[in-house]
Amino acid sequence: MKSRTFSPYVPRPATLVSKSPLSDLVTLYEFVQDNGKNLAHKPGQFIMVSIYGVGEAPFSISSAPIKESNVFEIAVRKIGAVTKALSELPVGTKVGIRGPFGTSFPVHEFVGKDTLLVAGGLGYIPIRSLLHYQLRHRQEFGRISVLIGTRTPKDRIFTDQIEALAKGGDVEVLETVDMPDADWKGNVGVITTLLPKARVEPQNTHVAMIGPPVMYKFVLRQCREMGIASDRIWVSLERRMKCGLGKCGHCQINSLNACMDGPVFRYTDIERLEEAI
Amino acid sequence: MTAYTVQMEQLPGLFAAWSAQCQVHVPVALETGFYDFSPWRPGTEIAFEYDVAYNPLKRFFMPPREDMIVFDLETYTAKPVFAAPSILLFGVHPYDVKAVTQLDQLMESGSVDQNYFSRRDAAVIFAMTPLAVSDTAFWASVGADKVDQGFDLYWTKIGPGTFHVEIGSGRGEELLLAAGPLAPATAGSREAARKAQVRAKTLGASRSLRFDWRETPHVMGRSWNSSLWHRKAEKCLGCGSCNIVCPTCYCFDIREEVDEKLKAGHRFREWDGCMLNGFALVAGNHNFRPQASERYRHRYMRKGKYIFDKIGELGCVGCGRCVRACTSKIADPCEIFNALWEESRNEI
Repeated sequence: MKSRTFSPYVPRPATLVSKSPLSDLVTLYEFVQDNGKNLAHKPGQFIMVSIYGVGEAPFSISSAPIKESNVFEIAVRKIGAVTKALSELPVGTKVGIRGPFGTSFPVHEFVGKDTLLVAGGLGYIPIRSLLHYQLRHRQEFGRISVLIGTRTPKDRIFTDQIEALAKGGDVEVLETVDMPDADWKGNVGVITTLLPKARVEPQNTHVAMIGPPVMYKFVLRQCREMGIASDRIWVSLERRMKCGLGKCGHCQINSLNACMDGPVFRYTDIERLEEAI
Repeated sequence: MTAYTVQMEQLPGLFAAWSAQCQVHVPVALETGFYDFSPWRPGTEIAFEYDVAYNPLKRFFMPPREDMIVFDLETYTAKPVFAAPSILLFGVHPYDVKAVTQLDQLMESGSVDQNYFSRRDAAVIFAMTPLAVSDTAFWASVGADKVDQGFDLYWTKIGPGTFHVEIGSGRGEELLLAAGPLAPATAGSREAARKAQVRAKTLGASRSLRFDWRETPHVMGRSWNSSLWHRKAEKCLGCGSCNIVCPTCYCFDIREEVDEKLKAGHRFREWDGCMLNGFALVAGNHNFRPQASERYRHRYMRKGKYIFDKIGELGCVGCGRCVRACTSKIADPCEIFNALWEESRNEI
């Protein structure tokens, strides 16, 4: 009988090298794996982060894959046990990492095309991985438009980066909030109020979208009305992945597992699944 | 297929030889008409006539709670945990063998489940032709009255004290001959075994799907919006009993515990159930299946369609355990599949 030594359930140690607040509840964490290896993820993938004694939870990777840097980033809202423990970790502490897991945005298909990135709320965290990848290979892509919607101005994250991006002129950035405060001078309304304002050529545009569950059907309808073909739309569907290996059943969307068949799906692959959108 | 004839009086010697090598589990009557697999000891009375074991056999390959890793909080390292107890399951009915081979396929596809196969590879399965059928079972109508793989030996009782034993693997044959040479099967004993298997199928047909089980995914494909889900789920207590007793349900949660000194701990997986309210709950309290009817439908879609689409087999082997376990009397796959077939049979 062969004896087993490998288990995909064993996390690899990584060290928290920096943390910076992005909003009241969201913090950006930077990690380096202790084995010195690059995480080698693709935009749209996720990792499982373990805090021993508390638990393990899935997080989208927010940084772009960068060959020359072993640092990778996640941005996390303090909302449950693992995320609360994470928020209390001092820099220099170790965590456990499994992954990267799941499918990614097919950046090779986007080459030479325009891209419309739609980010609702914390959806900007994984969208940022794709956006930053595209910015690093800017000449390979056509127009890039980013639509960002948050509930209130206080919920905005990566504000300095986004403002710099908007000023740079290289990328079209449109922002909106559902509920403005006294200081907000930008667009007010849900994210679908931005789409008509974006300069999008439907025939040449690929769409990537991530947001709260309620967002997808409205944006998808709008894309359809604009004439963007469904097979050029990519959605990332997040569920509660527990094993990341297509076994535990928690992230199932009809017959698919969000952890292995997703989280990034071509819209035409899930269009007919009742539980997807 | 190689086969032997074994006499009842040869069994004690065989069991003694087997139990020297591994833990042997056999069906026993816990109370009148209530059976389960239990460790064999000299003198254990084997319930050859059992109808169904109360608990499914998945517990031998994926226990209700199983350590996956142990971790050290001081060094921040973790090690895998693999258990591989040598076990022999004697007298497993074909539908339960089928449930195991189905789990084998699902645990192997994609990322191979090392913990499952660690246990599975250390187990020996001796199948047995059923002599009785539980009144909630319908396995004969879902192609689970006989299996042609997944066993090391296949026992069929062909007389008051005689068994016909087919060889399924080298390991099986080695164990069968562990207490000395046996008589090779004769044409007569092969014919008697065939008849016993036909008898089992006839017995098992008392409850049946009213259509070919291969049609089930199409039936399910037409039934997403059926009102049956609401009618049934209205009575669902969300207890997950149907998940727990199901031999093909394998969903799990992952949790962990640390010792009182906060120095070391272990992370384990634990049976979970898609019928439980929190199963599809995510951070921020969004539940992807908030209604009992959605959870209820998901379970039957999985059994009747999703698993089928993956491996070409029905995800239900017709054992009828869930029918007995359900307090609300709503968990009867046979009745549900038949009702959905009936209400959608005229649709294209």
